[in-house]
This record gives sequence, C-alpha cells and structure tokens, in this order.
Amino acid sequence: MPESSLKSSRDRRVLDLYDRVLEIEQRLIPTGLHVFGRAPGFREIRSLLRMVASFERTTAVSAGAGRETVKALTDLVAEGLGLFDYATLLKDSEVNEQRLQERERVESLVSEAVDLFVADRAFHRAAAHLQERANVTIEESQRVFEVLARVRTELEKSDELQSLCRALRGRYIEPGPGADIIQNPDVLPTGRNTHAVNPYTVPSTTAVKKAAPIVAALLERHRSETGRYPESMAMVLWGIDNIKTQGEAVAQALNLMGVRPRRDSLNRATDVDVIPIEDLGRPRIDVIMTVSGIFRDLFGATMALLDKAVRVVSALDEPDDLNFVAKHVRARMKDDGASLEDAAARVFSNAAGNYGANVNFMVLDSQWRESDELGDLFVTRKCFAYGRGGDSREARALLDRALSRVELTYQNIDSTEVGITDVDHYFEYLGGVSKAVEKRSGARPRVYLSDSTSPGAKVRTLEETIKLETRTKTLNPKWYEGMLSHGFSGVAEIEHHVTNTFGWSATADAVDKWIYDEVAQTFVLDEQMLARLCEMNPHAARAMVGRLLEASGRGLWSADESVLSKLRESFLGLEDRLEGVTA
Amino acid sequence: MKITVLYVGGSLPAPLKQAERDINRKHKIGLELALHNCGVSLFDKAWDDAARDVATSEIVFIIHVTDHENASRIAEALARGNHRAVIAINCMPELMRRTRMGKLDLAALMRSRGEKDESSPAGVVRRLGTWMAETMRSRRGSTPTAEAKSGAKHGGFAKYSGLIKRLPTILRFVPRAGKLGDVKNYLLLYSYFLQPTPVNIRSMILYAIKHYAPGQSRLRIPAPEVMPSEGIYHPDADELFESLSSYVKWSRTRGRKLSRDNTAGLLLMRPQIISKSRRHYDRLIRAIEEEGIDVIPAISTFMDNREACRSFFFHGETAAVSQIVSLTGFSFVGGPASNDSEAAVEFLKEMNAPLRSMVSLDVQTIESWEASRLGLNPVQAAMQVSIPEIDGATEPFVYGGMTGSASEPIPIEDRCRKIARRLARWNRLQTAPRESVRVALVVFCFPPGKGNIGTAADLDVFPSLMEILNQLRNEGYEVNVPRSADHLRDLVLDGLEDGSNSVAHVAYRMSVDQYRALCPYVDDVEAEWGGAPGKINSNGRDVLIQGIELGNVFVGVQPTFGYEGDPMRLLNAESGAPHHGFMGFYTYIEKVWKADAVIHVGTHGALEFMPGKQVGLSSKCWPDRLIGELPNLYIYSVNNPSEGTIARRRSYAELISYLTPPVENAGLYKGLASLKETLDAYRRSASESEREQLFEAIEEQAALLNM
Repeated sequence: MPESSLKSSRDRRVLDLYDRVLEIEQRLIPTGLHVFGRAPGFREIRSLLRMVASFERTTAVSAGAGRETVKALTDLVAEGLGLFDYATLLKDSEVNEQRLQERERVESLVSEAVDLFVADRAFHRAAAHLQERANVTIEESQRVFEVLARVRTELEKSDELQSLCRALRGRYIEPGPGADIIQNPDVLPTGRNTHAVNPYTVPSTTAVKKAAPIVAALLERHRSETGRYPESMAMVLWGIDNIKTQGEAVAQALNLMGVRPRRDSLNRATDVDVIPIEDLGRPRIDVIMTVSGIFRDLFGATMALLDKAVRVVSALDEPDDLNFVAKHVRARMKDDGASLEDAAARVFSNAAGNYGANVNFMVLDSQWRESDELGDLFVTRKCFAYGRGGDSREARALLDRALSRVELTYQNIDSTEVGITDVDHYFEYLGGVSKAVEKRSGARPRVYLSDSTSPGAKVRTLEETIKLETRTKTLNPKWYEGMLSHGFSGVAEIEHHVTNTFGWSATADAVDKWIYDEVAQTFVLDEQMLARLCEMNPHAARAMVGRLLEASGRGLWSADESVLSKLRESFLGLEDRLEGVTA
Repeated sequence: MKITVLYVGGSLPAPLKQAERDINRKHKIGLELALHNCGVSLFDKAWDDAARDVATSEIVFIIHVTDHENASRIAEALARGNHRAVIAINCMPELMRRTRMGKLDLAALMRSRGEKDESSPAGVVRRLGTWMAETMRSRRGSTPTAEAKSGAKHGGFAKYSGLIKRLPTILRFVPRAGKLGDVKNYLLLYSYFLQPTPVNIRSMILYAIKHYAPGQSRLRIPAPEVMPSEGIYHPDADELFESLSSYVKWSRTRGRKLSRDNTAGLLLMRPQIISKSRRHYDRLIRAIEEEGIDVIPAISTFMDNREACRSFFFHGETAAVSQIVSLTGFSFVGGPASNDSEAAVEFLKEMNAPLRSMVSLDVQTIESWEASRLGLNPVQAAMQVSIPEIDGATEPFVYGGMTGSASEPIPIEDRCRKIARRLARWNRLQTAPRESVRVALVVFCFPPGKGNIGTAADLDVFPSLMEILNQLRNEGYEVNVPRSADHLRDLVLDGLEDGSNSVAHVAYRMSVDQYRALCPYVDDVEAEWGGAPGKINSNGRDVLIQGIELGNVFVGVQPTFGYEGDPMRLLNAESGAPHHGFMGFYTYIEKVWKADAVIHVGTHGALEFMPGKQVGLSSKCWPDRLIGELPNLYIYSVNNPSEGTIARRRSYAELISYLTPPVENAGLYKGLASLKETLDAYRRSASESEREQLFEAIEEQAALLNM
C-alpha cells in the first residue's frame, strides 16, 4: 500500500474511532432514579438544558402565548459561524477532520453559553457571548433562552406531591402530554394526568417528513451489507414512541410500502396516497407489522389505516421486482389459492383484551429449554390478524408464513431515556420476532434499530446498540454509582440491566463474550463491589450472579473457568447468607 | 313510497320509526322508511342492505355521516341513482355535494364560493354545506396552534351557529315560489332537523314527500315546533327549566338541597332530550340520586360546554357542582369538530371540578359491545375516549346505548349503578375530614422476587413513599410514618412470612370463607386456577395479603401475574382470570380494610393488563372487577403515555405524572477516557513518526476495549 493511502486509511480509522468515542461520551444516560416530589439538582438541570437547546422545536415560548418554532442553539451557532448545519457536521465528522473540529467548536460554544445562562439565571451574558463569538443575534438566542428559562423554572418547583393531594381531595387534575423532556418540554410541570393522542391525527405531517430519511438510512444500511433491498421485513410497532412523535413509526411503515397518509375533508388520516414508483426510487417493501396490544388499543383507527395501505399497495399493477407486497400477495393467491384477506394480512397483534408476547416472562423465569420456544411463544401470542373495522382473527399459519420470508427485523426507538437494556419489553418484542423469523426462515434476520433522538437519522444494528448501551450504562461508573446511591432499588436496577442484556442473548444471540466478562469483572469479581451490592440488596445480587451462571450454562457465554468458579462461589455464599437472613 | 335515512347516533331512529307509523296511519301513503346507522364503516351484508335501500328509494336523507369509507361509497351509490330528492345534512362535503332537490344543486352552489352574498338564501344553504369541513380544517391535532384556534373560534362554526339563530328570520323572507323554492325547502327541512321532536321529524319526512314525491302536494304540514336551546332537564319534571334558580326551587320541593359539595353537574345532548330518546339519561340520573347525590342535568351547549356550565353550574361566581359528568361523548370545548383543550383546561382548573366523560354506544349496539373482546370500536374509542382524555376527563364508562331491537338508546343497569357509586366515592374524598380518609398505597414486585419489591421504572419507590407519607401527615391524614425509607422497606420486606411463599410481610390472612363472602367472582377465578385459596399468596388455608398498616394508610404489595413456576400459563394465546391472591388482594383493600382510595405507586403494575375489553369495560372484565368502586390514583412516569393510558382506560386511573430521572452525558471512563486522549494527541500531532507511534497505541487500546 502506498504511503499516502496508508496514512489516509489510518486517519479514517482514527476518525471512526473518535466518532464512536464521542457517541459514547455524549450519549445521554439517566444517572439515578427519581424521588417523587423532589426537584432535580443544579448539575442535572444544566445537562438537561444543554440537550433541550440542541433541538429545534415548536413550543409555546411563554405561558399563554401561541406556539412557534424555536431553532436549536447548535444550528444558530453553526449558521452564525458560516458552517454547515449541525446535523451535517455530526454526520460528516465521522469521516472528516475539519468537520470534526467545526463540530467541537459549535458544541463548546453552546455549552459555554448554557453554563453562563444557568449560572446567571439570566440570558444577557450568554446571549452576548454567542453574539460576540458566533454572530448569533441576541433576538434569536433569546428565544431559545426563554424556553430554557421556562423549563428550568418548572423543573425547580415540583408540584407532584401537591398534585397528588389535590387528586386525593377529588379535585380536577390538569392533563398533560407524555414524552421525554428533551423531546417535548411541554411535559412540564409534572404532577399532571398524562394523556395519549387522537389517533386520527396520526401520523402527523412532521412525522411523515421525519420518516423518509430514517427509512432511507435503514434500507441503505441493509443494502450496503447485503447488496440488495429486503423483500420482506418485520417491524415492531409500539404505542409509546408513536404517541410521543405523533406517529413516526407509523409513517415509516407507510413510507416503506411507498404510500403516504391522505387526510379526508375532515382532516383525519383515513386513507393513503400511493407514491409513484419513479418518485420512490426503490421497490415497495413488504412489511409485516407486529403490534403491541397497547398500540392496537390506542391506535385503532391507525390499525385500519395500515391494513388499508397493504390492500392498496397489493392491488397496484406493478412488476414483481418493484412491488414486493403485490408480488407476495399475488403469489399466495395464485399458488395456494389463498383469499385476498389471507394473502394480504400484515397487521398482527394479541388476541383482543390481551397484552404482551410473554417472551420476557419466559426468559426472566428461565422457563425455556430451546431458544426456539421463545420465538414460538411470540407467534402464539401475536398471531391475531387485524383488519378493517378493528376485527381480528387467530391466524397462526398466516403469521408463520409471513415471517418465513422476513430478512430484516426493525424497531424505531425514539427515547433518550429508555434504552433496549433498560426494560424487558424490547427483547420481548424485537428479540421475540427475530427468534421467530430465525426458525421460520432458516436464518437469523438482520436486526436494526433506528435512533430518532439525535439530530440526523441514525440506524444501528442490534449488536451495535447493545454495545453502546453496555458501555454508556451497565459498565459506566457514572451510571452504576448513580444507581447505587439509591441503595436497594439501584442494585435491582443493575440486575435488570444484566438480565435484559441476557434477554438479547436468549432471543438474538447478540451479546459479545466481552460484555459478560466485563459485567462479571465489575460487579462480582470485584469483591468490594460485590460486598456493597450484597449489603444493599442481597436478593438482587443473587439474581444477577445467577443470571450470569445461566448465560454460561446455556452456552450463551463461553466464560473462562476461573471466572465461573468465582461466580459459583459467590452464588453459594449469597444463598447461604439469604437462608441465614430468612431462617 | 320508500325513503332511506342514512344517519349517525341515537336520537333519530325513535322519532323516525314513530313518524313512519303515524304517517301510514293518518295519510295511508304506504311509506317505507329504511334506516341505516352509518357511524362506522359498513361492510359486507350491512353495506349491501344499505346500498339496496338507497337504490330503491325515491328520497334519500343523509344526516351526520362523517365516516370516510361510508361517505365515499354512499356518494358513489348516489351518483348512480336516480332519486327524486337527496337531502344531506351536516355530513362530509362529498355527501353535502350530493344534495339534489328540484333546481337546488348543492355541489354547484358549493363551488360558487365567494360569489354569493353570505346572507342571501342560497348563500345560507352554501354555508350549511361547508361549515363542517371549514371548522375541521382549522384544527391541527390535539394541540392547536394559535392560528388554528382562532380559526376554530371565528371560522366555520361561529358563522354556522349565528346562522342557525337567524334561520327562522331568513326563512320568512324567502319566497315559496320561483327559483328559490327549493332553497326554501332545504332551509325548512333543516329547521325541522334542528328541533328533532317527534312531531318535527314527522314533518320533515312529510315535507320531503309533499314537495318531491308525485301526487302528494296537498299534504298539510305544521310549521316547526321550537324548543329551548338551553335548559335543565329532569326525568321527573314535566318541562325543561330555563334557569338554575327555577330548577333549585323545584328540587327543594323534592327534598333535594343541591349543596355544592353533593351535586354533580351532568351535560346532556339536546337532540336526545327533545327527540325523547333519553331512557339512558333518565336511568343514570336516577341511579346517581339513589346514591344520595343531587344532580343538575343541563343541556350541553355542544360546541362549547363552558356556556352551559356558566349558565347552570354556577350561582353567580360560585360553582354549584362538585363534579362534571359529560354524557355528550365529545370534547369539552369544540364539540365533535375540534378540541380546544387549552380552553377546557383553563376553565376546569378555575372551576376546580373534575370532569368525567361517559360513553353512550351510538354507533355500535349494546349487543355487539357485549360480544366484542375489543369493547368500544375504534371510531367510538377515538371520538368518545381519546379526545375527552385530552381535556383531563376520567372514568370512561359506558352507560347505555343503542340495541339491535329497540329504536332508542337504553341504559346498562350495572354500569349506571357503578358510575353512581364511584361518583359517591369521589364525593366522599372531597368532603370527608382528612383524619377519617383511608388510603391504600400499592407497590409492585416485578420481576417476581424479593429483590424487586417496590421497583418501578425511573422511580426510587421507598423514598418516594416516605415523601408521600410525610405529606399526608402534614395534610391531616392519620398516618404513622416510619423513621426512614430503609425502615419502611424493612417493615414491608421482613417480619412474618408464615412459612409460605409470600415475599413480604403478611398484613392479613383472609379465610376462604371470608373471601367467598366478599368477592362475587370466586367461581370464575376457580374455573381458571382451581379451588381457593390456590397456591400463590396462600398458606393453603387463607389468602395472604402482603403489606403493612400505618394507621389509616396501608402499604400493600401487588401480587404478580402468577406465571412464575407455571410455564403452561404463559403459553396460552389468551389469558384468563387473575389468581386468587390477586383477586383477594383487591377484595381486601376495598371490603376488609375499607380504603377510600387506592394509589398505585410507580410505572407499572399488572391490574390494568388483566383480560377484558380494551376500553368501555363491562362487569365481566377483570380490571373492572378488581378496582371495584375505588377511586384510583396512579403515580406514573411522564415519559410513558402509552401504558399510562391503558391504566386510565382500563382501571379508571387518574395519573399523577412524575419526572424522569436526571440525565447527563455518559462521559468516558477508564480505558475509554485514555483512548480519547490518545486519539486527541494523534489529531493534534504534526509529526508523522509520532502519529505512527500514537496509531499503534490507539490500536492496542482499541483492542483492549473491544473496538
């Protein structure tokens, strides 16, 4: 290799590593638990405000005023300095040293300004700083600081206890939206009666706009790894992100099929318009939607819209290689004599009145022998096909058949606060469906997650996401010490993370050996640490050590023998201790 | 003579059927009136029947049809037909445009936007054809922008309601003969429709027959009866009350004092009242009075209920009711066409009275609701539950609705009684001295196991409980507050375990006899889990209730689903009943410990995910049985609106949101921090040889970090 290209490949490697390190460093993590009625401290408010300032948003600038668009401070600074917009800087800094330096400049100016604002409790110095250093007009930055001031005031006066007492006196409790604060500061003040959305408004125009680049990134990622588009994919749809984003995941599903929502004369999303194939510039993807019971309930009208989209797309007169939906529906009808109803069933959920895939229960309670049982359970629970009018029917054979074609599984993640090892529902659904596909298609599908939280669409593989979660949370002293400051509940929280990580081994075999090695090292082999955990919550400590042994016992972690014997020893010690406690 | 009426809702079928009988008896014209409720999309046979009736009718009425699917198919069917008259009232624009009466072509009129004087008769008809779409267009989702709000206020609807008021005057000046005859006819039909008394509905049908069916021009038809547009209704009174004071006077003669803290303000739909389709209202009103609560049943001012509230729920500046119960199924401000939740919240906050919103099954039948595992169909769920929730409405109960056989809505007896009892419970919370109020705080234990008692998403539960207990004590509740959060946890975790499989302190042993005596659902639980007390939360003789008593506060541990150690249960596609321990726990709280309210602490528990309808629960649904009559407050993470909404709908919870934990940048630690330093050094270095060395170091560090 010539010297110059060696150098440039080295530079590329450095930039790539740097980007990954920054991704870890800047990722937002919870650093503790909330105590009802207590306001967050100074340091936490500062980090939060920095993030709030980094997103453009439509909000009421002050109470009672109308809603208007407030730009992100990062974009204002980038613009003031004559640079590309911040999203571009983020994206290009992965491969370009100059963009990286520009990005760092923008970020540090924003940080400085927010720190000044927080310290002063007023915007003047912060705004002047940005004017002087980044040519941002006071008028423009002031609007951002007004939003920050409102967020800060509402964070500092917690109304939760008073609100609870009002409710206990049978008084009216104000409603409020539900979301992450960074995503939507209008969730403040807390202490309110959280509501969902009117399903007929979903997906919103903004959601439709934001869906396109995520879908493009997802398909591009798959194409760069396999050389082609996926014909069939399975997508997990939940209520939570679709409420917070007014239906981004719904819009993604529609976009994958190459349609967009059409609003009727009463402004409700009740029908779809077909995006002509030449505008779409790619084939229509066949999307099998596995839907949570909660989504089914909260978005009944949307279920009908998704079903309608499938019917419309399957009826288009387009060649097989440009319309995979129609291709598969036609083939089923022709080859097997299936009815249109059967051939076009794509929206699956639980039996009415039931919730959950139960895969999490099976994993948590170690009730499985072969991992295929986890995928089968997913299918058992989710094999109810939903059609027009909200009607459903058990259709196990249809779901089996549909999943047998799937090459890619996917879920949209919208939250900075809830990651895939924080709760058991992610492996229950995305893990469950992936395992079901593996048996039915004969190969493990590619598993992707999108991250619509950062400015700029990002799609990661499951494995990348697990590593990121592990590095930023489970193994990060800032995270676990934050949790441990809560004692009993903090230990339980750490144990949940280990167990949820294990859930990804069980369902998707997606956890590297080093992750378990490091977890064992950090929490069990470090005797001081283990002693702390046992002191605070021996039950959770025992459960965690037991889970690591289970991972090894099931062949999901090829642990070194020396590590294993230490784990066994610790486990027995904990058993003895707990028996002593309860005797 | 065949007329088809495609309608939506519960107020029209009864007067229409009566009209058919009366007309045939008196005029002997062989009238066949075909009725189809088009509230939800009609498919298969239901649609075939409707389409056949439309095709074979001389005259077609379409009233209130806003379902997209129905609208487009009806519009097509009408385009194919050859009717003597098609009369659309308050429908989607594509249906309004199908109105054809003699020379009146509403499509042409609607196209002539801006050309006609607004106050001319034809201009009025055009306005009637377009107001709804204009009102809806001005709405942008649940959080209207300032611009959209002003649109809603000053746009379609305001003009519409002004018009409605002027309609009688306008009609007087429209000549009956000539070009404007058909315009006048449309306005007259509309006037009958606006006052849907049985007589007016009969007149509306006769009027259409007289003018558009052959050989009937000699029919004599009375002018529209005019009914008050506002007022207070009571089933025991002969007439509507036009003012609160006259209603108060009348109530006193019945021994009803109407004191503020014991009076519920009800909002009723006007068409149901004046069309006499109100049996469901009557029963609910009486059920509430039977619980000792007084009522003010006011006619809803439809698009803006603040007006009805101001007129009838206030004595001057003082609120006259302690709770508002909306039976309209629509948003508080904005009606069916839009929702101005900010205005609603502002008003309700000021009034400080909670809003309950109940559902009448108007676009599905009680039979279909009973049979359905889903409960409310998606159209009703969106309109009558999702939107009122945004105003802060709670307790989304079904109280009545249409049936397959009766032509008017009827009450659902057990639901009416339950609603009434819950209102009484809420009333007690408002008025009882704090030292007598008993509160059950329920914590969770998931995944099952002692290490997880009192865990919840993002919440440190025991310190949170301490904050709550202290606050309750300060407010005058009788509560023994433990020394510290650790002490509280020890009390809950430890102590007697009874040699049983319970994970926490046992507060009470409920004998099987007591459990059977207090819980009417034991047989249903046994069908699923075998004889009581079963194996979970049991010592073989009694149901064990986990928790501790701290004066008038009980801190209980909710039992788990009961999947642990019972793999077969997980594998069912559909779940059955909760186990005896679960059922017994809530039986204990309500009927043994006699709580006045329950507070669930943290995101989230299992009660609201028990089998049953999704929303609009019946007495057979498990969450409805478990929560019983208890007011339910739920401390819930603000970032989880989806599971929280399930709790609101299925366990009648009022959520009190809590802040998510502080977030910070993850930062770097150990090897990651040094890797960044080396990377920085590489980026800064100008010396090629140094960069080479640094690069080697980088690769070594990266390998150690598995990067």
